[in-house]
Amino acid sequence: MNLSDLLPLLRFLAPEILLSALALGALLGEAALSRLLGVEKRQNLLGWLALLGLGACLVILGDQAARGETLALGRGAFVASPFNALLKTAATLAVMASVTMGLRAPFVRHVGENYALVLFSLLGMFFLLSAESLLMIFVALELTSLPLYALAASQKGARRSIEGGLKYLLFGGLSAAFLLFGISYVYGMSGQGSLAGLRDWLVAQRTAGGPGFLFLTGVCLMIVGLGFKIAAAPFHLWAPDAYEGAPLPAAAILASASKLAGIVVAARLLLGAFLPVAGNVLGSPLSWHAGWSPAVAALAVASLTVGNLAALAQRNAKRFMAYSSVAHAGNVLVAFLALDASGRPAALAAPAIAYYAVIYALTNAGVFAAIHALAWGARGDDFADFRGAARRAPFPAFFLLIFLLSLAGVPPMAGFFGKLFLFMAALQADATHWGLAWLVAYALAMNVVALGYYLRFARVLWVEPAEDLRPISTPLELRVALVALALLVLGLGVFPSSCLAAFRTMGGVLLLRG
Amino acid sequence: MEPPGLNHWLVVSAMLFCIGAAGVVLRRNLLVVLMSLEIMLNAANLALVAFSRYGNGLDGQIFVFFVITVAAAEVAVGLAILVALYRLCGTVRVSDIATLKL
Amino acid sequence: MEAALFHLFSFLTLAGALLVITRRDPVNAAMLLVLTFFFMAGLFVLAHAWFLAAAQILVYAGAIMVLFLFVIMLLDAKEETRRCFGRVAGVGALAVGGALLAALAGVIRDGRLWRVPAGDAEGTTAAVGRLLFNTYLLPFEVASVLLLAATVGVIVLIRAPRRPDDAPPSA
Repeated sequence: MNLSDLLPLLRFLAPEILLSALALGALLGEAALSRLLGVEKRQNLLGWLALLGLGACLVILGDQAARGETLALGRGAFVASPFNALLKTAATLAVMASVTMGLRAPFVRHVGENYALVLFSLLGMFFLLSAESLLMIFVALELTSLPLYALAASQKGARRSIEGGLKYLLFGGLSAAFLLFGISYVYGMSGQGSLAGLRDWLVAQRTAGGPGFLFLTGVCLMIVGLGFKIAAAPFHLWAPDAYEGAPLPAAAILASASKLAGIVVAARLLLGAFLPVAGNVLGSPLSWHAGWSPAVAALAVASLTVGNLAALAQRNAKRFMAYSSVAHAGNVLVAFLALDASGRPAALAAPAIAYYAVIYALTNAGVFAAIHALAWGARGDDFADFRGAARRAPFPAFFLLIFLLSLAGVPPMAGFFGKLFLFMAALQADATHWGLAWLVAYALAMNVVALGYYLRFARVLWVEPAEDLRPISTPLELRVALVALALLVLGLGVFPSSCLAAFRTMGGVLLLRG
Repeated sequence: MEPPGLNHWLVVSAMLFCIGAAGVVLRRNLLVVLMSLEIMLNAANLALVAFSRYGNGLDGQIFVFFVITVAAAEVAVGLAILVALYRLCGTVRVSDIATLKL
Repeated sequence: MEAALFHLFSFLTLAGALLVITRRDPVNAAMLLVLTFFFMAGLFVLAHAWFLAAAQILVYAGAIMVLFLFVIMLLDAKEETRRCFGRVAGVGALAVGGALLAALAGVIRDGRLWRVPAGDAEGTTAAVGRLLFNTYLLPFEVASVLLLAATVGVIVLIRAPRRPDDAPPSA
C-alpha cells in the first residue's frame, strides 16, 4: 500500500484524526500555558479551542453524511458510513454541551488534562460507533470508559465523587470481564471476529446442528456485560452513585453520549450479529423461543420497573436522572425484541432505536446543562436546592422544563416520537397476533408513572416557593447551548418521520453491510 | 497420559473465571478486588489462547495482546482512584465506603 | 510430557488464584498473583503462544504487579482483621457462581470440544507482529491512545495541586 492509496482512507478517518490531535493539543496547551495563565483563563482558552475543534469535527461529519460513501477497513474494525457519521454528530453535540458546561466550572484543576480526557472518551465513542468487529468493540469500549472513570472521580476533594468513580470503575471492570469472557466463547466457537462474519456463520449453523451451548453461553455473558454498560437493571447499581458523585459536565457525558454509544453497540451485536439466535418472546411465556430474547425481555421489564419506581423516591436531581436513564434503557430494550415469529426484526426496529438513542442523548445533555445552570446559585443538587428556581433563573428553568417534557414523552417533543416509534416497532413485529402487546402495555403503564415524576421535578422548579430570591445569572455560552439543544429536540420532534426516513435510506440502517 | 484437549483448557479457564468473580464479589479489600478482576480477564485470555491453539489461528492471540494492554490501563486507573480515596478517607476497604454497600 | 505439564500448570494456576482471593494480607495476595501469572505463562507456552508468554511475564509480573506492590506499600494496607467475606455478598456470589458452573458443565458436556484437533498456529513474535501491524493496525493505534488516556487519567487523579491558586475548593 503506498501513499496514494492511503489518502482517500484518511478522508474517512478525518474526524478521528482531528479528535486525537485536539486531545494532544489540549495536553500540550496545558503544558505550555500553565506558567503563563491562571486556571480560569486556561480553562476558558482551552475550552473554546476544544469547542472550535469539535465544531470542525461536526463539519467533517456533516460532509461525510452528505457524501453518502461507505468504507470498511480491517475485517470490520472500522466502518465509515453516513449513518455512523450522523450518530457521531449526535455524540459530538452532547460532548460539546458538556465542554460548554465545564468552561466555568469551579472544581476543574487540571484543565488541559480534563479536556483531553473528555476528548479521548469521545474518540472512543467514535471508534465504537464505527466498530463492527469484536476486538474493536472491546478496545473502543475501554477507550470510552477509562477516561470517564477518571472524570467521574476527578473531584478529588469530594468523597462522593471518588466513591462514585470507584464504583463506576469496579462495575465497569466487571462488565468488561464478562463481555470479554463472552467474546472469547463467541469468537472461539465460531472463529469469526467480524459481526458480519458471525451472522453468516450463525445462519450456516442453522442447517448444521446449531451453534452449540457454549456459543449461547458466550452470548449471555456478553449481554450481562452490555447490560452494565447501558445501565439496565439489575446491572444498574453503579449508575446512581456514579451520576451523583461525578461533576455535572462528566455526568452529562455518562448520561448522553456514552449511553448512545452503548445502545448502538448493543443493537449492532444483538440485532446484527446474533440475530439468528434471537428466539422470541411473543405471546404467553409458553410459546416463547429460546435465544437471547427472553434474557433481554427480562432486562427490559426489570429496567422499566426498577428505573421508574426508584425514580419516584429520589431526592437528588442527579440520582433521579440516573434512575430515569435506567428506565429509558428499559424503553429502548423493548424495540430490541421487535422480532416476528420467524426471527425477522420489524422494519422500524433499528431506525427507531437509533432515533431514540440520538434524541435521548441530546435531551439528557440539555437536562444536565440546565441543571448545571441552575446549580450555579444553589447549595447542592438535591431537589430542595432547586425549589422555586424558576423565579431565580427563568431562562434555564424554562429549558429544563422542555427537556423534562421530552424525556416524559409529551408531544410535540422529540421524546414522544422516540417512544412512539419504539413501541410501534414492537407492535409491528407480530402485528397479526399482537405478540408483544404484553410488553408494550407494561412499558406504557410505566411511562405513565414516569410522566408523574418528571412533572414533580418541574413542579419543584416552577410551583414551590423559593427560600432564596437572589437571581442566578446564566453565562451566555450556556444559554446558547441550551437554545441549540432545545431547537434540536423540538426540530427532531417536528419532523420525526423525515428523520426516520433518512435513517432508513442510509443503507443497512444501524446494522452491518453485506 | 493422553494430551489435553480443548475441553481441558476451557474447564481451567472457566474455573479461573469463577474464582475471579468470587474474589470480586466477596472480598472487602479493594486492592484484592482489583486483583480478582485481573484474574477474570486472564481467564478469558486463557480461553482465547486455547481456541487459537485448537484450530482458530493466531487472531485469538492478537486479542489476548489487546486484553493485556487494556488490563494494564484499567489497573493503573483503578489504583489511582484507590490512592485518591486513601488520601481522602484513609481506607481501602469496601465496608468503610458507604456507596459500595449494597 | 505435555499432558503432565498441562495438568501441573493448570493446578498451580488455579491453586494460586484461589490463594489470592483467600489470603488476608494484600502483599501475600499480590505475590501469589505474580506466581499465578507465571504459571499461566507456562500454559501459554504449552499452547505455542510464545510471544504472549513473554508478554504475560513482562507486563503482568513486571509492570502491573510492581504497580500493585507500590500502591500497597504506599497505602500501608493492613491485614484484614475481621472475616474477609461479607454475608450479603455471599448470596450474590452463589448466584453468579451457579450460572458460571452451568457454563462449565456446558464445556464438559459439549462432545464436539473433545475432538477438536490441535492446529498449527505458532504464536512467534514474527507471526504475531505481522498480523498486528497489518490486519490489526487500527485497533493497535486505538490501544496506544488508550494507554495515553489512562496515563492522563492517572495524572488527573493523583497529582497534587501545583500552585496555591490551584488549591481545591473548600466545598
